[in-house]
Amino acid sequence: MTMKQLFFGASGTALIFSSMMLSTSSIAAEAAPCLIAGWENPASVCAAHTKTIAATCFICHGPNGKSNGAIPSLAGQDKAYLSEAMRDYKSGKRESTVMQKYALGYTDSEYEALAAYFAAIK
Amino acid sequence: MTLNRRDFLKLSGAGFAAALAPQTAFAKKGKPHVVVVGAGFGGATCAKYLRLWDSNIEVTLIEPNAQFYSCPMSNWVIGGIRSMDEIVKSYSNLPGYGIKMVQDTAVGVNTDKRVVTTGKGQKISYDRLVLAPGIEFMTDQIEGYAEGEAAGKVLHAWKAGPQTLALRKQLEAMPDGGVFVIASPPPPGRCVSGPYERASLVAHYFKQHKPKSKIIMLDGHIDVVSKGPMFKAAWKKFYPGMIDHRPYNLVTKVDHNSMVVTSEFEDVKADVINIVPKQRASAICEKAGVRTDSAGVWCPVNGVTYEAPNVPFVHVLGDSVASNMPKSGHVSNNQAKICAAALVEIFNNREPNPYPVIGSTSYSATSDSTSGPIAVVMRYDPDKEAYIRQPGGGASAESDEINFAYNLAWFENIWADTLG
Repeated sequence: MTMKQLFFGASGTALIFSSMMLSTSSIAAEAAPCLIAGWENPASVCAAHTKTIAATCFICHGPNGKSNGAIPSLAGQDKAYLSEAMRDYKSGKRESTVMQKYALGYTDSEYEALAAYFAAIK
Repeated sequence: MTLNRRDFLKLSGAGFAAALAPQTAFAKKGKPHVVVVGAGFGGATCAKYLRLWDSNIEVTLIEPNAQFYSCPMSNWVIGGIRSMDEIVKSYSNLPGYGIKMVQDTAVGVNTDKRVVTTGKGQKISYDRLVLAPGIEFMTDQIEGYAEGEAAGKVLHAWKAGPQTLALRKQLEAMPDGGVFVIASPPPPGRCVSGPYERASLVAHYFKQHKPKSKIIMLDGHIDVVSKGPMFKAAWKKFYPGMIDHRPYNLVTKVDHNSMVVTSEFEDVKADVINIVPKQRASAICEKAGVRTDSAGVWCPVNGVTYEAPNVPFVHVLGDSVASNMPKSGHVSNNQAKICAAALVEIFNNREPNPYPVIGSTSYSATSDSTSGPIAVVMRYDPDKEAYIRQPGGGASAESDEINFAYNLAWFENIWADTLG
């Protein structure tokens, strides 16, 4: 199963939200299952999963990924850049104080979903 | 790898049946009402994100304090590198999210009728109750503590507020060459790295202003258990000979007249006494019948919904939770979002995410320009019904200036995320 199938509907429609303000109810209509931790789930579960992990990022990176200090903002960053950065933290190619300690804790498909989430925030 | 989705009902046991029970009820009654007790990093975050994620949910937030006092950064006030007004934050933004703020104390819960009673006699009905009341101190475990605290000579300063400032003033009044005794309880308790940060920043103050003074740490832990190498390196480098760390040295008694702190091993004469007593989930958790771990001090929860396994419709967040997660503002904020997201799904007749993930980051300062982090990811495993620590996490071995800048940003961002 490819990454695209994991986090994007069969139609190719992104299941990622453009912002946290968007109600998950509009996502629930999307019937395609997705994977978390190797298990298939309804789209609404994956939507909640991504939304909640993204909100975890807000604690350090600021509400909606808009930081008020030296920790970088995530909002509006390039999607490919964000997912590559996380993969590089994971492999050790890129060094960091905190993110390297986090990097092994999430899956590559979660990084793809999170990158799309933050890239979509204006 | 099988791709069949797990049977969440089966895996989650009784807690899930309770989680689904109210769905039909809400469909009939209209807007669901969540009452949140405690506007700390857990409660305020939960209230805010419930409203952000589903504006159909009505949220009432009960909090006795008119303002928010941040435990994170309170050691910086005690060490004199920040002022008290920098850790006092306003609740004024929360009503803008549609949260009804009630300045009062929750004193009782009828979990059958689902009604919370407040100190001022209000009765507030709920569909779901979220308890995020923080800790209370088991001061009766230390002989003489209550008397010493009443006399203003023994402080915990482990809830930010008046005692934060009182401890700062005692340190300022202490003569050079004095002894500051800081005692920490055995785990688990609020902010495991906090006592070590406090010792570091008081040492920073002494080094500048009272260089003949000493700090004696009577530590209920077996070692510097959080960020140990980082703290030890900083103490050796910045404050050689000033911090006398005495591990596994549990305080049993204090006499505020003679200013002697007694541990299981020794008597220590002090000029300023800071004892952090053992803690438990606040009394409202006991009233609600959810303070039911084996010692009767913390609250077990379902890791997906944070609902108490034995009391339907009552959820618990933050330091009060019985778990292997650190008791920190960061974790409380994160748990709050998982709980809020689960409640949104439940109220909308959808399945809550059975695989929540917690990120736990904590910065500690070692001076007025150096900090270091610990960072760990914990993923909920429905089979084990527990959050499992993921590989790669841990603490930095050194504190430095770049992490001090990140520490400052972390304060601003978590305050904004919780209250902004």
